[in-house]
Amino acid sequence: MVSTAVVDTVTGPPLQELWKTRHDKTRYQWSSLGLLTPTFALLIFLFLVPMGIAIYLGLTNLTLIGPTAVHSSFTGTANLIRLKGDTTFWSSLWVTGIFIVGSIIGVVVLGYTLASLLMRATAWMRVVVGGIVVISWMMPAVTAGMTWYASTTGNGTFGTLFGHPNANLLDAQPLLVVTLASIWSMTGFSMLVMGAALRNIPSEAIEAAIVENASTWQRFRMIVLPLLRPTMTAIVLLTGLLALANFSLIYIMTQGGPGNSTNILPLYSYQQAFTFNNLAYGALIGNVMVVIATVFGVFYVRITARRI
Amino acid sequence: MTQHESASIGSVATVIDDEPIRPPENRQTQRTFVRRLTLHTILGGIGILFLAPMLWLFLASIDSHASWGIEWPHFSLINFRHVLTGSLLHSLWNSVVLAFISTTIASVAGVFAAYALSRRRIPFKGPLILFIIFSSGVPLAIMVIPVYEIFSKFGFLSILPTAVFLSVTSLPFEVYLMKNFIDAVPTDLEEAARMERASTFQVLRRVVIPLALPGIAAAAIFGFVNAWGSFVVPLILISPTNQQPAPIAIYTFLTLPKAQFGNIAAYSLLFCVPVFILYAVSARLFREGFVLGGGVKG
Repeated sequence: MVSTAVVDTVTGPPLQELWKTRHDKTRYQWSSLGLLTPTFALLIFLFLVPMGIAIYLGLTNLTLIGPTAVHSSFTGTANLIRLKGDTTFWSSLWVTGIFIVGSIIGVVVLGYTLASLLMRATAWMRVVVGGIVVISWMMPAVTAGMTWYASTTGNGTFGTLFGHPNANLLDAQPLLVVTLASIWSMTGFSMLVMGAALRNIPSEAIEAAIVENASTWQRFRMIVLPLLRPTMTAIVLLTGLLALANFSLIYIMTQGGPGNSTNILPLYSYQQAFTFNNLAYGALIGNVMVVIATVFGVFYVRITARRI
Repeated sequence: MTQHESASIGSVATVIDDEPIRPPENRQTQRTFVRRLTLHTILGGIGILFLAPMLWLFLASIDSHASWGIEWPHFSLINFRHVLTGSLLHSLWNSVVLAFISTTIASVAGVFAAYALSRRRIPFKGPLILFIIFSSGVPLAIMVIPVYEIFSKFGFLSILPTAVFLSVTSLPFEVYLMKNFIDAVPTDLEEAARMERASTFQVLRRVVIPLALPGIAAAAIFGFVNAWGSFVVPLILISPTNQQPAPIAIYTFLTLPKAQFGNIAAYSLLFCVPVFILYAVSARLFREGFVLGGGVKG
């Protein structure tokens, strides 16, 4: 009886059943594929495919209107050569760099200052100041841009606040003003994330340092900063990425002007594609942004994946 | 241990020894008072600087003679009555449609993917998750020019395809957020449902989604706010004027030769209200979500 059963499993169909339920190999459920399909189909067709098309478009002579709008042709490196000699592009790259670095410094410094001060403030202060900062972060970019335009133009709030009501701050220091607006619109996020990270620092570490007679600066440098570094790096990268794509705020405030002084890459790309009708050249400038965003994104993946 | 303790007590003692002969408590309270005063002054200053740009929005919206400048308002609510009519009201409605469709697509697609990435064995799971994190950080709206080219080829330059593209711009972050929430849901209940021969869909609908609801809602709110405030994507991808959402209406408002500043401010303020309400809801959801993670197990 027993022996026939053994023979059966070796020769007959039950063997195949055994193969199917092997436990030394990873088993996949087919339904997983169905669960993943919608998300990855959307990401492939509206992120990866457009990315491939953008790389191709950047090397053609496609325009928005005219004969080359319908029959565009591959022109190879012609656009790249044009990009190399385009002084507006290089100045735009420079302006983008200043805008991004300025935004990052402001957002990190202000976010940390607010988070650490609010921890020690009265509950009333925490609600009011914290609330104002969060509201400025939540405000949609169009509204933020408009209200910043109103406050920094002639007779605006800031001019009145500093005693020069007629001064047009936006015309006098356009890049500085749009960078401040960008900092204003992103500090709330940094404050909340930084606050959560600060609350996670064990109070024993700080108390021990106080007992050891460490100064405030030493406590910050030796304990708070190292423990906060992953959070700060994430904020730096996300702020950089958001500033890089911050089209709306500047478009509403200055449209890139006066004289290209606030013309960051997304604005210049839009301008080339839809104002000057050079769709292909605009796509090429967009590709430069994609390269920059990819560098930031890879670093972001590295620090986020380390935490999982 | 004891050595360490005695050492720290020793250092405390030296601190006290260094103090001049004065009632120590008094000095301590005085110093704390000055310190708290500086702290609150700095905070108050930052608060005022953050409030200043918003001031115009509130004052101009209730001013019947508003301009770009800041001034004491001639109080009236006429601006709000003006903007809630005709094409402006229609633009707000377009924003609602755009945000709802894009949120629904992203949340439904996202919850399936988040569940699979959280629970299932999937080939190349690590790289897939890294790709999701990568695309959640990179603003996908920078793809708008090639997407414009695709959409114009297929005649898609209208509100529905734009809603689909907007859903993609928030999808990766939604997946990441929901995956983290589903990770925190204990597997016991799910295994019990499996024992009762529940299908994957039933497990999702009856067990996983109800338990991870705060996270799913928070992700959906993120998607909604993202689509609601989006300006450049509808500006480029929606060509019929009667389909354009509120941000484009605000921009058009600004470009008019005789701008009605009070109306612009009132309209923008109304446009912000849903965002503020949803933020308040999501802040509460996050707090509940963290409680839930432990609460289910008990």
